[in-house]
Amino acid sequence: MKKVMMGTEAAARAAKLARVQVISAYPITPQTVIVENLADMIGRGELNANYMPVESEHSALASCIGASMAGARAFTASSSHGLAYMHEMLHYASGARVPIVMVNCNRALGPPWNLYCDHTDSLAQRDTGWIQYYCADAQDVLDAILIAYGVAERALLPIMINMDAFYLTHTSEVLDVPDQEKVDIFLPPYQPSTKLNVDDPKTFGNVCGADLFTSIKYKRHCDTLSLEKLWDETSAEFRGHFNRLHPTVEAYQTEEADVCVIGIGTGAGAMRLAVDRLREEGLKAGCVRLSMIRPFPLEGFKRAIANAKHMIVIDRDVSFGAEGIVAQEVKAGLFGHHGDAKLTGFIAGVGGNDLSADTIVPLVRQAISGNGTAVRAGKTYWAEVLP
Amino acid sequence: MQPKKIIQSLSELPTMPSTIGTMAWNETGDWRYLTPLITNKLAPCSQNCPAGIPIPSYLNALRNGSVQKGLALLLAHNPLPGLTGRLCYHPCQTKCIRKKVDRAISVQKIERFLADIGTEVKIEKSKIEDKRVVVIGSGPLGLSCAFYLSFRGCQVVILDPSNQAGGALLHLPPEKIEPLALANEIDRLILLADIKLETGAVIDFEAPGESLSKADLVILDPTGLSENFTAPVRAVAFDPFDDSTVNGDIVALTLPKNLKPFKAPMIAHYIAVGRLTAQRAFDCLVMRSGLQDLRQSSPDLPRQAVNVEDIKIERFLASDIAAKAEAKQEEIWDGERTLQEAERCLSCGTCNLCLQCVSFCPDASIRLDEDEASVRVDLDHCKGCGICAYECPRGIITMEEIST
Repeated sequence: MKKVMMGTEAAARAAKLARVQVISAYPITPQTVIVENLADMIGRGELNANYMPVESEHSALASCIGASMAGARAFTASSSHGLAYMHEMLHYASGARVPIVMVNCNRALGPPWNLYCDHTDSLAQRDTGWIQYYCADAQDVLDAILIAYGVAERALLPIMINMDAFYLTHTSEVLDVPDQEKVDIFLPPYQPSTKLNVDDPKTFGNVCGADLFTSIKYKRHCDTLSLEKLWDETSAEFRGHFNRLHPTVEAYQTEEADVCVIGIGTGAGAMRLAVDRLREEGLKAGCVRLSMIRPFPLEGFKRAIANAKHMIVIDRDVSFGAEGIVAQEVKAGLFGHHGDAKLTGFIAGVGGNDLSADTIVPLVRQAISGNGTAVRAGKTYWAEVLP
Repeated sequence: MQPKKIIQSLSELPTMPSTIGTMAWNETGDWRYLTPLITNKLAPCSQNCPAGIPIPSYLNALRNGSVQKGLALLLAHNPLPGLTGRLCYHPCQTKCIRKKVDRAISVQKIERFLADIGTEVKIEKSKIEDKRVVVIGSGPLGLSCAFYLSFRGCQVVILDPSNQAGGALLHLPPEKIEPLALANEIDRLILLADIKLETGAVIDFEAPGESLSKADLVILDPTGLSENFTAPVRAVAFDPFDDSTVNGDIVALTLPKNLKPFKAPMIAHYIAVGRLTAQRAFDCLVMRSGLQDLRQSSPDLPRQAVNVEDIKIERFLASDIAAKAEAKQEEIWDGERTLQEAERCLSCGTCNLCLQCVSFCPDASIRLDEDEASVRVDLDHCKGCGICAYECPRGIITMEEIST
């Protein structure tokens, strides 16, 4: 059914379609609409779930972990400082191997205070063991949440679905809302083989020596690596039901492309427009949206950039003292595979700056010619800074 | 303890970091040094009530719509609720657990309300009166003592030298107690207990009148007699807090320092002392006569009770009391209706299977029993953390040093 929805409404609708059983969240702009919508659905009796109001994001995720360990399909959502506050529990969730799906609305971290789009909040949680998916549009949000439950419950790993603040959370789009019956076929109820059960008591997260600890972490690492394949398989299965594909790597005009623009999130749309414009100018350009950052989708990425000679990475985030985090990821992905490729990293669109084709085209020109307004700082170039 | 299984390959590792087998063998109960004791007990309000009134019981009767039963329960433990409802400092309310939620139950308002609507009493005379007691003085202590002696089957006469009953209560200003309310309280007590009251009586032990001369025991009420009254030489002092047995035929009650001279806010204490004195006096009468069979409650003879719990007052109360209560519900205070106030009572001391303890126990060691009538602690696994006792909204779980 076609519906006009904001990204946050799409996220709430997806949680409902996934028949989540426990929701625990703490409101924060711009995530609030998601949890308000879900609370309304429960209040109206449309969703049979337990909504646990809590005093903090830390408790929200802790509640979801408990619920998931008891065998419930759990959902939470947060953003920025809220996600930062969850940090300890993020590690716990992935270590405990609970298949929670969380929506994070990418918002800048203060100070200075800023409510708008920035990817540093979730990228700073890159090493917590969560699977990270970055959405391109509201349809992607809705579908990715459904796929995420399928993947998470098979792999027993938590998944973070990221959506850009305001560009995605608070703008409306026409999207296709799948029927509940079809979703129920794609996503059967969660039935874990091990769970918290007082009649069959087990100790979870117990003390363990270095010997087993290493092996347990190794196993988790291997399981996380396998997620790229599992996501793409599940995504293909999803396409079989709903005729929409959400791959880990989305390539545009990359075959025969010399220059390849790389980024995550909603910027992908602007990157495609920029590619079209650059191609009109005669430049053999393409672009790649990495929808998955963890695990890094190495296979898909290698295929997408196979012919590119110059990578231009646009980061809506920064690792202070180093460079853009996505640029670092791309470099690590290239290393040993594509040694002679050139890479130019830009920091642009942070704190809510619009990332349009008008922003991207000059950056690509600067990367090629060396002339432009972006200011060099270490290994990276900052766009949109005061003179 | 089960034999240790050594994990030797990656494939044996569980995906979720947990024990492979059951942990039921790990009886963590031996970590415990305090044990939760789940038992119905006196509610904190009742524990703190000088007269030991089972407040949740009568509030529960009100909540169930039985005003008559509620008042009967109250009167059995406190025959002067109109006085306590006006004068008592209500230590029950300071211990009310409901305070943790919002505010204490207004026991005082309810008590006064019940006393004021339930003044009408049916007159019924039925008891075996084989012992005669004269109480001299009709203060709150004497009235209470007479009430409980009468409900134990004694023929009781109250003699008061003044022209009006009430003793020390008569000296209180009308804003503390309206004269009509005081008269109503005393009238109800006299009628309920079937007591003979003689005001303006001449008390002369040298030339006793009919009542005095026939009495098996005479009790002098310090709250009912003026300080000018001289006790006869034969009178034996009796302090119900110190002395367990009553000696002599004339008993001069003495009071501890905190109760003399008469203090109106201590009204419930005087009622309690009256009840205690009645108990001691009755024991003495039974002992002297050797009549053991007297000490059996008879359901047909309502004034033949052995214990306070056996005192059945409902049959003496007017049956239209519920309708009266309903009519009086129009009177509201601070936006609250009195009978609805009773509904706020948490029924502390009595487990109503709210299962808060079950949900809060971190070790899933408290469960609803199979008969679904009580909760049970799995002492093999309870570590004694005490969260159940903290969370129990009715105060029936306490942590005790029990060797198990």
